[in-house]
Amino acid sequence: MPIALTGPSRVALVVTTCVAAVTGCATYDPPKAWEKGDLARPSMRFDADPLATKATEHIYQSKEGAAGGGGIGGGGCGCN
Amino acid sequence: MAVTDRSPSDLDPSAALIAAALALPGVLSSNAHAQSAPDQGVIALRYYDYRDWQPGASRMSVRSPLLYAFVPLSDAWTVEGSVLHDTMSGASPLYHDTLSGASGLGITDYRSAADAKVTHYFGGQSIAVAGAYSTERDYESRAASIEWKTWSDDRNRTYALGFGATRDRIDSVNGIAKHRHRETYDFLAGITQVLRADAVVESTMTWSQGRGYYDDPYKLLDARPDHRRIFAWLTRYNQYVPAMDATLRIAYRYLDDSFGDRSHMLEAAWVQPLANGFTVTPSLRYLTQSAASFYRDPPFPQGFVAGEPFTADTRLSAFGAVTAGIRVAKAIGADVTVDVAFNLYRQRGDWRAGGNGSPGLAEFSARWFEVGFEKRF
Repeated sequence: MPIALTGPSRVALVVTTCVAAVTGCATYDPPKAWEKGDLARPSMRFDADPLATKATEHIYQSKEGAAGGGGIGGGGCGCN
Repeated sequence: MAVTDRSPSDLDPSAALIAAALALPGVLSSNAHAQSAPDQGVIALRYYDYRDWQPGASRMSVRSPLLYAFVPLSDAWTVEGSVLHDTMSGASPLYHDTLSGASGLGITDYRSAADAKVTHYFGGQSIAVAGAYSTERDYESRAASIEWKTWSDDRNRTYALGFGATRDRIDSVNGIAKHRHRETYDFLAGITQVLRADAVVESTMTWSQGRGYYDDPYKLLDARPDHRRIFAWLTRYNQYVPAMDATLRIAYRYLDDSFGDRSHMLEAAWVQPLANGFTVTPSLRYLTQSAASFYRDPPFPQGFVAGEPFTADTRLSAFGAVTAGIRVAKAIGADVTVDVAFNLYRQRGDWRAGGNGSPGLAEFSARWFEVGFEKRF
């Protein structure tokens, strides 16, 4: 079924294609609501463990040149 | 909605997952139901034991208990927050440190931090307002942020926009930095896209623009620019693998820093459920970064010119770094999970990809243990 691409859709598709190409999974078949059972698994969520993510990012922030990309508003620290 | 009239534990596993999917923000169609907040609360505790070292010398040790809570207040409001307390002791990495390298003194410090976020869900959108505060012996940071999200009608795509501001104050214990400040403004734009019933991707860009005091007052002759811009692009991809009931998680981040350093980070993890509620997750992370334009190689103070930016901070050198980790989690009943994790991290100049690493760096290693407890309600 053809997909009508609006501006934001185009951006989303480019990002999608880049990642899919890298991972060798270049298919796009968005599911219906009743097909999302596997997507609900904790392992499929990007924010499943915010505490561990925050602590680990802080370790890397204190040992590497710069940090970013994971979010905003976390505040600074004297570690870097 | 009939499927939510029963608890997930009453359902068979596949039906429970579908019920959970329908309960996720961004899954249920807005034509059938207005966007509502997640209805499951979480309280989590973690403890970190961190230590790093260089050949022949133990460096820093850090112990950190952390507490996190997520509480749904109603169909439209949630609140979440965390607190932590780091206790640090030891010495900074070799080369040029005024506390450990030159004076021979060690470091003892602490960091206490807290943050809170309130999120309001309405009509297929959400707005979150957050604040954060942290304090150390020589450092204080205050931050605030706002983030807006909206979901497509089929709930397969999420857009996010955010803005944050941070104000830091530096009062070094050696008196070199007195009442110095730094202001940083952050911007975020992101997309999350469900690709298939078993794959989802998220791509987020953040821009950070800061001005103020960036020198490290504990490093001799350290002088950095008074402004900094960081662009980071993080893309994450999760793929469920039905044949093994496992999930492959991949992340890539490109980062461009106006200090001159650029980095590429690639991370992969394999989440493998086992019998009796166990899950094992091995992970591997690789980072390669170039040096800041004003980083100078040893011997110190080679390359120093008065009045020009200069640093011998090895964190701004060119190197590669590898982290190997493993996490083992155990589900206890439907609502409790405990986990332990171990990570080993190593930095070496000659592990840099796409160019030469900085010469003369002592290999840097770190390891950290984690213990976690999570209760959902």
